[in-house]
Amino acid sequence: MIILNPSTVRFGAHAWVDVTSIIVDRTADRMVIERGDLGPHITLTDVPEQRITIRLSRQIARDEHSSPRPSDQEELVFCTAPAASDGARRRVRATCVVVSLAHELSRQRGAIQHVTLVALSSDGAADPITIEDASDGVL
Amino acid sequence: MASSFNSLGLFNSGPHRFRLGAEGEYALVLARIDPFQAGSTPVGPLELVVIVRGRLQASSQSALWMIRDTITAQLTHPPQIGALVDHSGRTWDDVSFTRFEVDDRIDRGRIWSVGYEATFTRFLKK
Repeated sequence: MIILNPSTVRFGAHAWVDVTSIIVDRTADRMVIERGDLGPHITLTDVPEQRITIRLSRQIARDEHSSPRPSDQEELVFCTAPAASDGARRRVRATCVVVSLAHELSRQRGAIQHVTLVALSSDGAADPITIEDASDGVL
Repeated sequence: MASSFNSLGLFNSGPHRFRLGAEGEYALVLARIDPFQAGSTPVGPLELVVIVRGRLQASSQSALWMIRDTITAQLTHPPQIGALVDHSGRTWDDVSFTRFEVDDRIDRGRIWSVGYEATFTRFLKK
C-alpha cells in the first residue's frame, strides 16, 4: 500500500503535518518451504511469521524538538481519499511502534524526516491494519 | 504415489521425504568400557533406520491435532511391525514406528502446519 500526500496523519496525540508519503510493506520474517521426494520443485510454501512495516516521510519546515523515538508505541491514523473531498475517504488505523527516525537534508528537497514503524496485531491473528470508511470527515 | 506405514497414509497431509540412517557395522568404542583401552570392536550389524521428515498440514488447529493423534496412535509398546512404503513404492518390510518428534512450534499462516521427524527401526532378530 502506498499513500501519497495524505491529508491528515496522527500518531497518538501528535498530529503530523506535511506528510509526503506513507508506504505500508508486508514482508515475511520466516517462510515455510517444503519439497517432496518426487521432484525439484517446492510443494508447500507458507508465511507463518509476517511483518508490516510502515515508512512515513514528511517535509520539515521548521525546527522540531518533539520527534518520535524508537520504541514509542501509539496508534497511527491517517486518511486517504481519491480526491480532495470526503467522498470515498478511507481511514487507516494501526497500532505501531517506532523503530527508526532518520533525517535527510538537501538543497533540492529541503529537510525530510523518515519514520519507520512496525505495526502490531492485537492478538497475533488479526491484521494490524484496519481500513474503514471515513466519509464523515472525522480523522 | 502416497506413502504408507501398515497401509495407513500417516504423513500424506503434507510433503515429506525419506532418508536412511547409517548402515554397516556397529563398532563399540572400547574406551567406553575401559578408559585406558584404545580402538573399537565390531559388535554386529547396525539396525536399519528409516527417517521420514516432513510437514503435517491442515486447515484448522483441531484438524492438525487429529492428524497428529492418528500418527502417535501408531506408537505402541511393544512396537508394531509393518511395511513402510515411500513415494516411489520402495518398501521396507518388518520395520517398527519408534519415534515421532515435532518441531518447536506450530506454524499458523495460510494453513496450520508443523514440521516433524518420524523414525522407523528394523530391530535385529534375536
